[in-house]
Amino acid sequence: MTVYVVQRLALMLVTLFAIITLTFFLMHAVPGGPFVSEKMMAPEIQAALDAKYHLDDPIWLQYLNYLKSVAMFDLGPSFKYPGMSVNQIIAEGLPTTMQVGLLALICVVSLGVPLGIIAALNRNRWPDTLVMVIATFGVAVPSYVIATVALYIFALRLGWVPTFGIDDWRGYFLPVFALSGFWISFIARLARSSLLETLQQDYMITAKAKGLKPGQILFKHGLRNSLIPVVTVLGPVVANLLTGSFVIEQIFALPGIGRHFVLSITNRDYTTIMGITIFYAAILMLMIFIVDMIYLVLDPRIKYREAR
Amino acid sequence: MTAPLLQVTDLRTSFFTSRGEVQAVRGVSFELRPGEILGIVGESGSGKSVTCMSMLGLLKSSGRVVGGKALFEGRDLLALDDRELRELGGNDIGMIFQDPMTSLNPTLTVGEQVIETILRHRNISRAAARQRAIELFELVRIPSAAKRLRSYPHEFSGGMRQRVMIAIALSCDPKLLIADEPTTALDVTIQRQILALLKELQSRLGMAVILITHDLGVIAETADRVLVMYGGMVMEEAPVKALFAWPSHPYTRGLLASIPDLRDDTHHRLTPIPGSPPDMRRPPAGCPFAPRCPHAMAQCLAALPPVYEVEPAHGARCWLHHAEAPRVAGINQQVAA
Repeated sequence: MTVYVVQRLALMLVTLFAIITLTFFLMHAVPGGPFVSEKMMAPEIQAALDAKYHLDDPIWLQYLNYLKSVAMFDLGPSFKYPGMSVNQIIAEGLPTTMQVGLLALICVVSLGVPLGIIAALNRNRWPDTLVMVIATFGVAVPSYVIATVALYIFALRLGWVPTFGIDDWRGYFLPVFALSGFWISFIARLARSSLLETLQQDYMITAKAKGLKPGQILFKHGLRNSLIPVVTVLGPVVANLLTGSFVIEQIFALPGIGRHFVLSITNRDYTTIMGITIFYAAILMLMIFIVDMIYLVLDPRIKYREAR
Repeated sequence: MTAPLLQVTDLRTSFFTSRGEVQAVRGVSFELRPGEILGIVGESGSGKSVTCMSMLGLLKSSGRVVGGKALFEGRDLLALDDRELRELGGNDIGMIFQDPMTSLNPTLTVGEQVIETILRHRNISRAAARQRAIELFELVRIPSAAKRLRSYPHEFSGGMRQRVMIAIALSCDPKLLIADEPTTALDVTIQRQILALLKELQSRLGMAVILITHDLGVIAETADRVLVMYGGMVMEEAPVKALFAWPSHPYTRGLLASIPDLRDDTHHRLTPIPGSPPDMRRPPAGCPFAPRCPHAMAQCLAALPPVYEVEPAHGARCWLHHAEAPRVAGINQQVAA
C-alpha cells in the first residue's frame, strides 16, 4: 500500500509536469504579450521590459528557467502587478477563497446529500417533487443569475446583508449561497438517483426479510453503497470550490484568487496564468487521490496494487 | 393430523403499474404442516415468488395484496403491520433468495450480516452472537468458520455465498424457511450440494420449508408435497410421488415432457409446451392454460375449472376430471403400467 501511495504521488508529479509544459507553450502561442495593452510604449521601454523579464530569451530557455524556479516552489514575479510575486498573489487571495469555498462545501455536503435522501425515500410524493424542482432550477440557472437576483432581494430590497465584501459574518451568506447552489442541486440529484438504485438491490430485500429496522436498513445497508458515486464527484467539487469562482468574486467584490483565473489570461500575465494553473491542477489531483483513498474505506471490493 | 403451521387461503396479489393492474396471484390456497417440505413449481411469471413475497411484506412498492389470508401459527400475516412483520422476518421465518451474488451486501462482512440478524431478534451480547455465527457457519459447512466471518461476499464462491445466506436464514431457528430458487444461479454440482444441505438441515432442525423452483428435478429430490402453479393459480397439488406417478393436469404433463432424460440416448427431441403464458393484465376467463393445452375444449376457454380431487390429497384444476369429460390417457384414465 505504501508503495502504491508513493507511485501515485510520483505519477502526480509527472502529470503536473505535462500540464506545465502544455500550458506554457499554448500560452506563448497566443498572440500578444503582457505589455501590449500599455498605450504608446516607446520601443526602448518595451525592449527594456522584455529584457527585465527575460521575454527576449528564446522560448526553450524561458521554459527551462521557469521549470527550474517552479521546482523550487517559486512561481515568479507577476507581470501585471509590479512588485508582487505570483506566490504572494496566491497567498493573499487564498484565505478569502478558502473561507468561502469551505463554507460552500459544508453546505453542499450537509444539504445536498440529505435532500437527495429525503427525495429518494419519498419517491414521486411531494417532498421528492419539491426537492427535484428546486434542484433542477439550481442546476439550470447560472450562478451569476442567482447571485444578482439574491443580491437585489436580500441586500438591496431587504437590506439583510451587505452588497459586497465579507467584513462581517453576514457578508458570507450570499457568496456562499451563490457558489454552493449549483453543487447542492447537483449532489442532491445524484444522491437521489444513487440511493434509488441501491434501494432496488437484492440485498436490500434481504435486509428487510431479516427483520431489520428501517433505520438500520437505510443507514447501514443503503447509504454506504449509494454514497460511492457521490464521493467520486465530491473530489473535483472540492477542488472547484476551494479555488474560487471568477463570477462570484467579481459580483461580491471578494479579494480571492478565483478572479485571477480569467484576469491573468486577458492580461497575458504569463507567470500568473502558469501559477494559478499549477495551483488548481495540484489541488485537483490531490482531491482525486483522496477520493481514491476513501473508496478503500467505502468499498471493500476495491484494492489497489502497485504497478510493476 | 397436526395443525398446519401455515394456512394460505385465496391469496390475491396485484401489481399496479402504469399499464394497468397485473394480477400476479389469483386465489392461491395451500397448507403447510410443521417439518414439511413443500415444493412450488412453475415457470417465470407463474406467481410462485410473488406468493411468498406477499406473505412477508416484501413486495415491490407497486405490488399489493388484494385479498386472502395467510395464517402462520394462527396469526394472519397479511393483516400484520410492518412492525409485527419485522419481528417474524429473520426470526420465525427465514428466507433465501435466488442469486447469492446480489442478495448479500457487498460492503459488509458476511459475519456482520449474520450477527446483525441474531442481534436483531435475540437479546444476547455481541460476543455471544459472534459465537452463534461461528456455529452457524460450521452448520452450513463453511470451512474455517471463525476466520471466514471477517470475509466480504466477493471473497466467496457462489455456493459458499448461498451457504452464508442459509446461515443467515437459520440464525434464529426459524419454524419456516422459504427458499426462492435457491439453486438456480449455481453450477449443477453446487446445486446438488446445496440441496442436500438444505434437506439435511431441514430434517435435523425440523423446520418446514417452502422450496420455490422451476426445476422439477429439484422437486423430485427434495420435496414432500408439490404445488404446480400457472397463471397465478395452483393447477395441481399432490404428494411428490403421486405427482410424478400420475400427473393429472396437462400443464404438469407438459412440464414433465420437457425435462431431458439423460438415460435416454435415442436423442429424440424434447417436447416443449407451445405458446406463451397469459397476459396477467387481462387474465383469461377460463383456464389460464387452455390456449396452450393440447386437450382444450370449449368449456376450458369459457369457465375456470374447479379443483377436482383425483385421489386423496391430490387435486387438479382441470375440466378433464369432470364426470362428463372425454377420457384422455394418463390424465383422467389410468394407463396400464
